[in-house]
Amino acid sequence: MDLFANLAHGFAVALSPINLLMCLIGALVGTLVGVLPGIGTIATVAMLLPITFGLPPVGALIMLAGIYYGAQYGGSTTSILVNIPGEATSVVTAIDGHQMAKQGRAGPALAIAAIGSFFAGCVATILIAVLGAPLTKLALAFGPAEYFSLMVLGLIFAVVLAKGSVLKAIAMIVFGLLLSMVGSDIETGASRMAFNIPELADGLGFATVAMGVFGFAEIIRNLDAGAEMNRDLVQQKITGLMPTKKDLIDSTPAILRGTVLGSILGILPGGGAVIASFAAYTLEKKIAKDPRRFGRGAIEGVAAPESANNAAAQTSFIPLLTLGIPPNAVMALMVGAMTIHGIVPGPQVMQKQPDLVWGMIASMWIGNLMLIIINLPLVGIWVRLLRVPYRLMFPSIVIFCAIGIYSVNNAPVDVILAGVFGLVGYWLIKHDFEPAPLLLGMVLGPLMEENLRRALLISRGDWSVFLTRPLSAVLLALAAGLLILTVLPVLRAKREEVFTESEN
Amino acid sequence: MADTMGHSATATRNNTSVALGIFVLALAPQIFELIWSLGTIFGWGTGRGPVAALIGHASALFAGAPGAVFGSFGGGAKKLSSDVLLALMYSYPLFAVAILTLFMTIKSAQDYVGGIVLMALALFALWASSDLQGMRGFSFGAGTAPRMFGGLMVALSAGIALTGLLYDGPSLQHYSWRGPLFVMASIVFFALAIRPLGLIVSAFASFLIAATGSHETRWVEAIIVGACLTAGCAVLFPYILGLPMPMLPRFLMQ
Repeated sequence: MDLFANLAHGFAVALSPINLLMCLIGALVGTLVGVLPGIGTIATVAMLLPITFGLPPVGALIMLAGIYYGAQYGGSTTSILVNIPGEATSVVTAIDGHQMAKQGRAGPALAIAAIGSFFAGCVATILIAVLGAPLTKLALAFGPAEYFSLMVLGLIFAVVLAKGSVLKAIAMIVFGLLLSMVGSDIETGASRMAFNIPELADGLGFATVAMGVFGFAEIIRNLDAGAEMNRDLVQQKITGLMPTKKDLIDSTPAILRGTVLGSILGILPGGGAVIASFAAYTLEKKIAKDPRRFGRGAIEGVAAPESANNAAAQTSFIPLLTLGIPPNAVMALMVGAMTIHGIVPGPQVMQKQPDLVWGMIASMWIGNLMLIIINLPLVGIWVRLLRVPYRLMFPSIVIFCAIGIYSVNNAPVDVILAGVFGLVGYWLIKHDFEPAPLLLGMVLGPLMEENLRRALLISRGDWSVFLTRPLSAVLLALAAGLLILTVLPVLRAKREEVFTESEN
Repeated sequence: MADTMGHSATATRNNTSVALGIFVLALAPQIFELIWSLGTIFGWGTGRGPVAALIGHASALFAGAPGAVFGSFGGGAKKLSSDVLLALMYSYPLFAVAILTLFMTIKSAQDYVGGIVLMALALFALWASSDLQGMRGFSFGAGTAPRMFGGLMVALSAGIALTGLLYDGPSLQHYSWRGPLFVMASIVFFALAIRPLGLIVSAFASFLIAATGSHETRWVEAIIVGACLTAGCAVLFPYILGLPMPMLPRFLMQ
């Protein structure tokens, strides 16, 4: 069987000492980021991109992947113990997790979150391995028209799954597309919207914009909020990590449902860990016999979203590895990391770089194992880290980001541009625009334009090509259907219900 | 009765300030170029001098653009200068929006202003890509896609602004100045200082500038942490990660 041979090869790669070390570093940094509020996964991955220059590509990507799923673990720890979600993905975990902690059941809550995450991680790893090859074959049947339609579908998904107004989310995507066009045109070499500024001739750096909009803007926003956040630490010692038998029985179906839901939402373009955890929590509440228990320390309310976000974090690698299309902003940064190392993401990666793909898949499983082993004993240390006051943390993050951006191209202008995008991001937050679709639009921009151009060139300018090719027509129909469904009042209410969960 | 009157009075005042803001936004690129051009007096940067820029934009705004509008009715199809195009494509539509704003009741300033600013960005992008080649037969020119997406964004942002007029929503949020100012100052200082002064000086100074952005900062603590962080970065980036970076000020190295 091909699958096992591939996986065995992957484990051989991932178990080499250097890659094990990278995996460990990634998982630890990820947990750290997940624990600390005020610095998100996207900003961290952007910040660490330059660091991966000196590393071999496999090690670099293993580390970056570790940060992503490690952050899902770390976020749950602080949600449960201190009611501060370090990550957007664990906002819902805080609802029931912190209640459990207040009732003196912090140990079981942490354990269930870790077990759920580990189980979801295992399933997702297998899913990537199983789905990888067939999806790659499918991708080979894709022409430019299909690629374009698929990206349209992905962007529409991103809109539907984004928080807040649909119109605003679409506008953000288009803004991202426009930003991606700054610089030289790929085909004609004409300089577009660069105003004769030499630093813009190459286009806006993706890491630069990401760091500005997610890193600097977050910091400025947090300073706005001023005063120390209310941190009601659970002071008593955490005793008895082991969940009771009843806990296990209660949470097993929740973990299973969360894993399935998370895996599906992760694969869908535009999906990702945030929406997965929200959806899983809502589902648990809907099907529970006694929904009133939720919000008062129901263990399912911890198990389901934690499994879901971890599953989604991992399955979102599937579209990236097979089709070369990043389904969310973190994956978009992974594209950046791959390009730095001269790897073009897409169906050919699986054949040309088996070390990279299978090594990364195997490392995810190893990373999950590491996380469960190292994290539970380290809980005390993570919580102590939260006592580092923000007034010392934020200047450190600013400096680290600034050095990081400078080192990408050794260009001071990049640092200033990131600062400008920080202000733009601050403005966007103030006007309730979500920055994540912007980033996705910016990454997909060049790909979309290229495929659109190619499709129209092949069809000799006939726009109907997108509808006459069956695969492309199906994809576009799905996108249109989805958009119509979202605007329908019934579903609109549902969609808002999912997101308001954290507020009550 | 008095209550209603008071309410409408604040609404009008709000509208006036929003309209004024849009008016300034409409002239923002021109003002920016003018400020930028002041540098050419001292020999910094390239571009037109302030006088040339002022004359160019003023004549475009007051004479060139109206002339072009009426000229197009007369069938005159001469090539327009980029100043006139900027006035026509960017400033005039926004002037119109600013004037319209005066007569509107804004239900959600957050959405309305958000939509208008995005529209300004889109119009600016349309102007910036107006010199690029369009479709050549059935193949895309360099300017086709930017214009397509620029047009789409104008429509979308108009929609957002419209929702701000039609549906109730939050008003403008409060902006603070201290955080953004000092964080930006720290970033800009770092960018300007890294080449001539090296990593150690610029990182430490930037740390302190950024720390000023919070009123909770305690200086002794900040200086100690800043020094440790600088030392850490000075080891991490150049030695462990092997990224080439100037460490000490240039005058010390020579």
